[in-house]
Amino acid sequence: MTDLVVEPRHADAHRGDGVRMFARGVGQLLITAGVLILLFVAYELWGTGFYTAAQQHKLETTIQKQWTGSSGPDVSTLSVDNVPLGTGLAVLFIPRLGRHYHFVVVEGTGFSDLQRGPGHYPGTALPGQVGNFAVAGHRTTYQHPFKDIAELRRGDYIVLETKQHWFTYRIEDVPGTNIPWKEIVSPTAVQVAYPVPDQPDPTKSPTLKLLTFTSCHPEYSARERYVIHAMLVNDTLKPALPAALTTKG
Amino acid sequence: MYVWIWRRLPGGVPAKLFGCLILLFAVLVLLFKFGFPWLEKHVPFNDVTVDQRVTTTPSPSPSPSGSP
Repeated sequence: MTDLVVEPRHADAHRGDGVRMFARGVGQLLITAGVLILLFVAYELWGTGFYTAAQQHKLETTIQKQWTGSSGPDVSTLSVDNVPLGTGLAVLFIPRLGRHYHFVVVEGTGFSDLQRGPGHYPGTALPGQVGNFAVAGHRTTYQHPFKDIAELRRGDYIVLETKQHWFTYRIEDVPGTNIPWKEIVSPTAVQVAYPVPDQPDPTKSPTLKLLTFTSCHPEYSARERYVIHAMLVNDTLKPALPAALTTKG
Repeated sequence: MYVWIWRRLPGGVPAKLFGCLILLFAVLVLLFKFGFPWLEKHVPFNDVTVDQRVTTTPSPSPSPSGSP
């Protein structure tokens, strides 16, 4: 009985080998492709973070050296055009995102700038200045400084440390304007980073000291942008600490 | 494909295994150093800025005209 079943297989042996080899080849190819995609995901989600961590460490060392070296003015007194791309501007603290949350904000929003940390839109106001200090940050890769941007709430504080100041911004609907504390906009909505945000004229002169964050939205996508607006509420001179960092946030 | 590589690797089974490890390591280094950094510039989920241009390729230079 069994012999009868085996017999025809033998006859087809050569054709069967070819099919089997083809199937195996396709299978191996698919598995390889799957592994490659998983590796890429791992690289994006975690691998890129190592680079940013190393770069942030460097930026932090450099900026601390500049601050203690006592030469050079505070960044808030500089003109927006006098900051070279890629330099560290200020250290960003967001109490809502944890006591250990801090990033050095880099000048520039090019790909290589944002690989190193949250990036300041060139030409927008500097910390503490009249205008709009606009910052873009990654949400899923490169240590994702703005991963939890959706956790931010109205009334939360955003603190920027410069050489001599602590600038505290509060997330809020900016009084007397149509600027909301949070908005989700199209990737081309450049007006969110204007000196006076959310109106059509990029040259309109500002009167308020604002801060704007942009990141991608939804998470893992780039279909839209998640935007947060905040207003300067406190300027504390060092070495005193700002209330937003000393009280439990 | 893998069978072919296995056959071409010299030596006995331990040497072949060692060869596999070397090859694997080399492939991973190439991917993480060159392959993935290149590829990520062509996938959209790293776009976090507001920009005039609707494109997934990031600009190497800062945003045009001061305002992004």
